Amino acid sequence: MPIAFKQVSYEYSPGTPFAYGALNGVDVEITEGKVTAIIGATGSGKSTLIQHLNALLLPSKGEVEVLDRTIVAGVKPKQLKSLRQNVGLVFQFPEYQLFEETILKDIIFGPINFGVEPQEAELRSLHALNVVGLDESYAEKSPLDLSGGQKRRVAIAGILAIDPYVLVLDEPTAGLDPQGSKSMMNLFMTMNRKYGKTVLIVTHDMEHVLTYCDEVIVVDKGKVILKSDVRSFFKDESLLVELNICPPKVVDMRRQLQKAGMKLPDDIFDIESLAMAIAKEVNGHE
Amino acid sequence: MNNIALGRYIPLNSIMHRMDPRAKILAMLGMLTAIFIPTGFIGYGIMAVIIISVVFMSKLKLNFLIRAMKPMMFMLVFLMIINIFVLKTGYVVVDIYGFKIYSDAIFQTLYISIRLMLMIMITTILTATTKPLDLTLGIEDLLAPFKRFKVPAHEIAMMISIALRFIPTLIEETDRIMKAQASRGVDLAEGKFKEKILAILSLIVPLFVSSFQRAEDLADAMEARGYVPQAPRTRYKQLKRTWRDNFMLLIVLAIIIAMVALAISL
Ligand SMILES: Nc1ncnc2c1ncn2[C@@H]1O[C@H](COP(=O)(O)OP(=O)(O)OP(=O)(O)O)[C@@H](O)[C@H]1O
Ligand SMILES: [Mg+2]
Repeated sequence: MPIAFKQVSYEYSPGTPFAYGALNGVDVEITEGKVTAIIGATGSGKSTLIQHLNALLLPSKGEVEVLDRTIVAGVKPKQLKSLRQNVGLVFQFPEYQLFEETILKDIIFGPINFGVEPQEAELRSLHALNVVGLDESYAEKSPLDLSGGQKRRVAIAGILAIDPYVLVLDEPTAGLDPQGSKSMMNLFMTMNRKYGKTVLIVTHDMEHVLTYCDEVIVVDKGKVILKSDVRSFFKDESLLVELNICPPKVVDMRRQLQKAGMKLPDDIFDIESLAMAIAKEVNGHE
Repeated sequence: MNNIALGRYIPLNSIMHRMDPRAKILAMLGMLTAIFIPTGFIGYGIMAVIIISVVFMSKLKLNFLIRAMKPMMFMLVFLMIINIFVLKTGYVVVDIYGFKIYSDAIFQTLYISIRLMLMIMITTILTATTKPLDLTLGIEDLLAPFKRFKVPAHEIAMMISIALRFIPTLIEETDRIMKAQASRGVDLAEGKFKEKILAILSLIVPLFVSSFQRAEDLADAMEARGYVPQAPRTRYKQLKRTWRDNFMLLIVLAIIIAMVALAISL
């Protein structure tokens, strides 16, 4: 079951002086069962793009294929609930969507809306709470008393409890501390590796792209200009320069050492292999 | 959500856009007064022609003004129904198995509708052609003479400009929260009554929480920058009145006089 954009354009406030084409003919296919990063400058249309995946925005032109559904421009889709149950979308700064008296009630809100039995929904919600790293003592607390980062976790748990097939996250780590964002990214990777979910993450952090993602999609001025697997993406130096992207530290260091005359292979993507390659190079000379 | 037309500034370049905001506010008040004078369909016909020509002068699309009136349609239908049941004077227009609809019910509704539409058009022209900030500067200046009677003109203007400033933010926020909750299976259109209440709560509570948060942040930010309401201050932007503004006010005055004359002669 593919996820694909076919010549998708989207215009905000059409027919008014404020009309703005945020997407202009997006053509891309998202590989199932992988973690895909969506990167691009601010205002390039990343958030607009992902909101098409669960039909929060409907294409002005073209069509979007999501799982077994095809959303065609100009046709009002029906039964959006089943689509939204299968594609869980976590917004940028989702902490603002909490509203219930207790955290458990807030997490359970989604599954209940999608018709999950109350007992089952509660089990799932408690599990989701654990998964995002909050213990059960939080269940009865008010979501409004939490810190920003904890609220974010609760909001994400609210989507995980729906148990969607595809997980879409809009800058989930923006504004979190390094430790927190690391555990967050690990969580999404677990969702993919352990539960087989297709994961899409909008991010500005190239270290995250390298460490946690399999594929990368580059959005620029409302168009997808590139889709590639992460490693060959970061290997292509001239491409990164052209796109004005700072490579992750490991890649940068490998490159600088190479420039300084050290012979290192190009496919080094983590610190251990880099250290090993350097050691080999140094020892080989002696 | 983003297509709300009522009260929105439309950045264009027209004579009306360049008019002094104080003059525009006064002209609007004058025109509203003129609309309140009962001149029958003839008077309103004349007013409609005048107002529509002002719409063209401001380069606004009629389409846009019609959208601004949409929220009112529901009210008018409601009014129509009440009038049909209550007003039983005039001649019978339709007779459905003994249930008679009288001419006065229809005329009365039509009369009020036209009035309301003209009023909305006038205010929409003002808000669409005047930047919110200019509007508040205008209000502040117009209220200035009342400072003598302890009317806090500056504070009122500040409050209005803050409120206006946050309308688009609130709309954006509502849109965002609606989408976030839709992703969690909220369906505002369908569902049982109880589900609908919960759906509305899921929208209102976060909206309130973030509004209070924003208000607090704004107050802190203003305080941090040493804002004191009573402090004397100069203005970067000076309003300028030209002969065009005086001319417009003269025309409005003439319209009021003409309408009064028409009302008396009827
Ligand atoms: N509701 C809206 N109405 C009008 N224009 C909008 C709206 N939302 C976004 N835009 C415009 O569409 C363009 C793309 O916005 P989008 O939010 O998709 O960008 P983004 O890539 O997610 O940026 P960021 O990295 O800052 O989140 C921007 O230029 C923005 O100004
Ligand atoms: Mg975004």
